Amino acid sequence: MNGKKRQIITKYMISYEFRNVTGNPFVHIFGIGMPIFMAILISRIAVSEVSDAAVTRTISTTVFLGIGAMIPMATVLMGYAVRQAQDFEKGIPERMRLFGIRDCVTICNRAVSELIFMAAAFVLYFLAGILFMDLEVPVFSGIVLYILCILFFSILCFILGHAIAALAKRFSVTYCIVMMVYFALMILGGMMGISYESMPAAMQAAAKLLPVTYFNKDFITIWTGGNYNFVPMVQSYLFFGAAAGILLFIASRRRVRGI
Amino acid sequence: MENDILLSVENLTVCYGKDVALQIESPILIEEGDRIGIIGSNGAGKSTFVKSILGLVNYQGSIRTRLTMDQIATHMQSNEYTDSMATKYIMEAILQTRISRSQKLQELIQYFEFEDCLRKKYSKLSGGQKQRFTIIMVMMQDAPLTIYDEVTSGLDFETRQRLVEKMVSWYRDRDSSLCIVSHYYEELEQLANKLLILDKGRVIDYGKKEELFRKYCGRAVIILNHSGEKEMLFQSYKKLASPAHLIALPCETEEKEREIISLLLAHNMDYTRSTTDIEMIYSNAKKCGGQQ
Repeated sequence: MNGKKRQIITKYMISYEFRNVTGNPFVHIFGIGMPIFMAILISRIAVSEVSDAAVTRTISTTVFLGIGAMIPMATVLMGYAVRQAQDFEKGIPERMRLFGIRDCVTICNRAVSELIFMAAAFVLYFLAGILFMDLEVPVFSGIVLYILCILFFSILCFILGHAIAALAKRFSVTYCIVMMVYFALMILGGMMGISYESMPAAMQAAAKLLPVTYFNKDFITIWTGGNYNFVPMVQSYLFFGAAAGILLFIASRRRVRGI
Repeated sequence: MENDILLSVENLTVCYGKDVALQIESPILIEEGDRIGIIGSNGAGKSTFVKSILGLVNYQGSIRTRLTMDQIATHMQSNEYTDSMATKYIMEAILQTRISRSQKLQELIQYFEFEDCLRKKYSKLSGGQKQRFTIIMVMMQDAPLTIYDEVTSGLDFETRQRLVEKMVSWYRDRDSSLCIVSHYYEELEQLANKLLILDKGRVIDYGKKEELFRKYCGRAVIILNHSGEKEMLFQSYKKLASPAHLIALPCETEEKEREIISLLLAHNMDYTRSTTDIEMIYSNAKKCGGQQ
């Protein structure tokens, strides 16, 4: 170890971080179980009085694509932020630095592990969708864009989660904040029973700024290869990214100043 | 920086808010092969000194070293790890090797009798096991400079003794330099060859153990458990500063020493003779504030 330059991503660190991710029972419940259960349940309820097979399929697919955004929210935003805060509270990053493991090494391996877990969660989610739901067959560009959008959303959730944990530094405070953000995103994203169209104007204005809204509201159009104006969706990513970036900047400034 | 000097500290000031936690004026040089015991009461600045070296606190002054940070291995007072997995995986991630593939790591695990703990989570380990877990990883680093900050604090007497015995034996034939912060002087008797004595954030003295003993205690010291009878018997003798339960009699010459011992034998009294006792060095150095 001594004198040997440590690589940024190694199989031992990935294995360590992956165990860290899977060691949190909440990510299994909220990141895999709940999205599958909610997608099946909500779509069944939503189509119960619809007799047209094509409409049924469209509704099921809309619900399925929207609920899918819960996976990065639960695994990355909630799971990562809470674990990171727990580590900060215990002084684990400091201990790791004393062993020569720089923060960037931890963060990179953590990000890759989160990605692996999220990919596995999506595989299970799609399997459940194919087996238990009547879904529209996507066009190639639809599935690629869905993966890309989920990936970008996950990166932003990772940045936001890291910033919240670095600012709060305590498990309890971080848990409270990310739970509030999680439910706010669920409600505004239309995953809690109130669709974007039924929301009051103020809520609609806030919802428009969040990427989750577009997974629920519009992604069926992209999925099936319909014409779609991407500008509002891109703007929502820019807004969400800017908010996460500003929080991360504040957190890193506080760290530099030793607060 | 000279080749055998690993680290030098000079004109160092560390403040916590408005309080000066540590102030070092004269240079402290850590050379290759040094085994430095850092002693002082609570709040003396021992851990602050360690944290300054590691860059964990802001300081003013100069700390120069030819070592990179990964050439300084550190066992902090409190070491925490994740609880999501067995200690084996934490060890493998930190050390970047599989236990089964590293002979040296297997030897260390065996040496510290840690085999049964590898499958346990960190929170399930006892205090002694937790310390051994970090010690194994610190020793695996095989760094030119290793720092142990109160490695045995909070452990029971037997666990402490066994751990120190292992450490003494491990480092006996090695040339790595050590900085050991401890409140247990008997540990430092075995591990340290130099002492850094701190008090209220100031350096009282720094030097070789034997030299400091000669400086503050003389050639040898006879140490007795305190009693009224002994106090009466030696009332006309010069005494050194010592804890209240002891009487410390300096022996400037062999004749003086023989005289004291004869008197003790005549009265059938127990005593200890020392030429390196750290408690005596500390008490007397502190009493005269390093000026002698």
